Amino acid sequence: MSRQENNTRRIAALDERAEALGLKQGMGIADARAMHPSIEILEHDPAADRRLLEALADWCDRYTPLVAIEGKDGLFLDISGCAHLFGGEKRLLDEALSSFLHQGFDVRAGLASTPGAAWAAARFSLPPIDAGKEREALLPLPLAALRLPAETRERVESVGLKKAEMLLSTPRAPLVRRFGKELLLRIDQFLGGIEEPISPRLPVSPLSVERRLMEPVMLHSEIEHLVALLAPTLKNDLERRGEGARALRLSLFRVDGFVSRIDVGTSRPLRDPALICRLFREKLIALEGAIDAGYGFDLIRLSVAAAVPLEEEQADLSGESPDGKEEVAMLADRIRARLGAHAVLRPVCMESHIPERAVLQVPFAGSLASPSSAAFSQSERNVSILPQRPIRLFGHPERVAVTAEVPEGPPLRFRWRNVTHKVARSEGPERIAPEWWLANGEEQTRDYYRVEDDDGHRYWIYREGFYGEETTHPRWFLQGLFA
Amino acid sequence: MAREAAARQTLFALRREMARIEGRLAERLAMPAAVSASLVRYCGVVHDDSPDFIPTGAPRLDARLNGGLPGAALTEIHGAGMRDTGAVTGFVLALASLVLQKNASGGPLFWIGTEDGFHEGGIPYAPALLKDYGIAPERLILSCTRKIEDALWVAGETSKLKAVSALIIEIRGNPARVDLTATRRLQRRASLAGHPIFLLRQSSRAKSGGAEPTAAPVRLLLASAPAGLRQTISGPLSGSIGPPAFQVRIDKNRNGLPGQFLLEWDPQTHSFHERPQGYAAENNGIVVSSSRHGPNPAPAAGTLMAFGEAGSGSPRDEPPGKQYAAHRRSRRAG
Repeated sequence: MSRQENNTRRIAALDERAEALGLKQGMGIADARAMHPSIEILEHDPAADRRLLEALADWCDRYTPLVAIEGKDGLFLDISGCAHLFGGEKRLLDEALSSFLHQGFDVRAGLASTPGAAWAAARFSLPPIDAGKEREALLPLPLAALRLPAETRERVESVGLKKAEMLLSTPRAPLVRRFGKELLLRIDQFLGGIEEPISPRLPVSPLSVERRLMEPVMLHSEIEHLVALLAPTLKNDLERRGEGARALRLSLFRVDGFVSRIDVGTSRPLRDPALICRLFREKLIALEGAIDAGYGFDLIRLSVAAAVPLEEEQADLSGESPDGKEEVAMLADRIRARLGAHAVLRPVCMESHIPERAVLQVPFAGSLASPSSAAFSQSERNVSILPQRPIRLFGHPERVAVTAEVPEGPPLRFRWRNVTHKVARSEGPERIAPEWWLANGEEQTRDYYRVEDDDGHRYWIYREGFYGEETTHPRWFLQGLFA
Repeated sequence: MAREAAARQTLFALRREMARIEGRLAERLAMPAAVSASLVRYCGVVHDDSPDFIPTGAPRLDARLNGGLPGAALTEIHGAGMRDTGAVTGFVLALASLVLQKNASGGPLFWIGTEDGFHEGGIPYAPALLKDYGIAPERLILSCTRKIEDALWVAGETSKLKAVSALIIEIRGNPARVDLTATRRLQRRASLAGHPIFLLRQSSRAKSGGAEPTAAPVRLLLASAPAGLRQTISGPLSGSIGPPAFQVRIDKNRNGLPGQFLLEWDPQTHSFHERPQGYAAENNGIVVSSSRHGPNPAPAAGTLMAFGEAGSGSPRDEPPGKQYAAHRRSRRAG
């Protein structure tokens, strides 16, 4: 692998055989070619490396939800509380290493009770460091085991402190004064004196259940079946916490390390296993073909991504909910899971005189109560003062060719969608001024006419712009249909 | 005892048979005590509050339909061309308004359509629905899908819900997907769940001329009619556009009676009434015929000007009135 650095091409990474030939990282490509003309050189691609590391981190999710990426080539796994699932820390480590080996990766791993010690253990091939034994482990190590910036390390080494034991036997105060706080911070992090949190890549879900499979599954029906097995466990946990799920995630771990994640959202807190299964069934149908099962999935995890408190409601004897809103919300969730969030909409009236802005179609979100941004609530709305509006409105008004009297006469005939209509009667104009406070100076005053053509169809037509004042050639639009 | 039991069995068998003929569940049939009421229904006088029928409020139409539109069934409402979309929509909304008035605390009104249908005919506009039909925006749920298959799936799932007051399914043209099987499925679901489904069909004029077969017990053909005049204290206001009027033709009816009616929807009281026969004469004859064949309504005082669509089109290029462009013919989708 080569990389461009200050006008020269240098070796960025190399494999074991190249190392055996005596090549080193950072060596110029020209030198390396001179030594061994037959070497194969590829362009270094840091983004691809990063993607690979993230894929590996995804795969490591099977061991613990707390996986963090460290630097350019490392992963931290916080396995506190997870190791017993694999029969102990050592067994977990062995299993992970052998899996990586089978996938063709050359991996070093370290096991310790602090991230600093684990980092050093992985890089210096130490045996697992037990809690409380960090000091002994650190003593024989060089300074490179302390995750120090290169500059600090050189300065420390330049005064002869080349090994960790020398540092540990030196008084702390002069060290801080001379080399800065970071040196001591790293030592304390190594020894466990200071707690070092690792930041996991993915948000940790409050609840999750999973099932490991001896035989990988490929079919959607099998996945559905497994969800049906997992959901009741989740329900018990949610009940204990008095919560319901608002967002659920199904993670499918493929045998070869790829992880597919399927998310569904719900409009109401949910914990009924049957309903959870139905949501995922719709989603799986929608994703038919989009999920590549490859050689099958060997681990399936169902987790709650977001939960809110859910109170039990007393249903009547027939088992139906009092108002049926739950049924509707559940249906909306299923439609959204299958067809996307914009498949179910509800109109919300806004405060605007411009017809197309007076109503907003928002994705249906469970409760049927209008949000606070709505222009008026049901109680205070006075139907009789509402202006007359068409029952169907075109989102984009359509241009029509109109014959009309200047300056301000009603249309006499118009052509819409290639058909000429003769206006029999018209009412208007209703003048709607542009919303100047929105500071969009391009809009013009509209004069709306309600017209009926000689076949009895009723339309809503407007002229844009004052004749003579705003424009000399006003444009006409058709914006709606009346009953 | 044994004779009584045998008699009851006969009675139940008969009721099941009746339910089968009427396409409803036996449990939903009116109890024998209501026999007199259902007899009255056949005589043409309708005062029936049973949920099985939606009385439109126009006595002649209700009598022809045996008491109103079926309350737990599929009803097809067709508009022949694209320009009748306004009339069809208005009529369906009026029916939905009647249903929602009946159960004011009931569930929402679902409106299912495809994106191209909403693009071609416009989106239902909530303020007008509130003002003219009394349908609050909170009770309306729109479902807009890209494909007709998805719309039918949503319709199938929604029609199972008992919590829904009414369902409007909007279909554009004559897609092959909406065939006898699909309508039969919807009809079955409607009768099971006990709510009406209105199948609104824009531009449904079939190529063969006749309408496609359907399992719906009632099919109505809608066309718009010239509106009446606005009523003021001093009588009708000439030149105004009053409440919407619809031309309703019964195309399919369970008892086989056809008919044609001219209905008006009153946006104030949210009810239908039939336009009286001599209506035009009553109002000085200026409502329909004179505006149709008479001179233009307002004599032009200023100069007439043609405003082109894109600024370049001249009036000479206009095609004759009844000509349809290729893209406006009903498309066979799916």
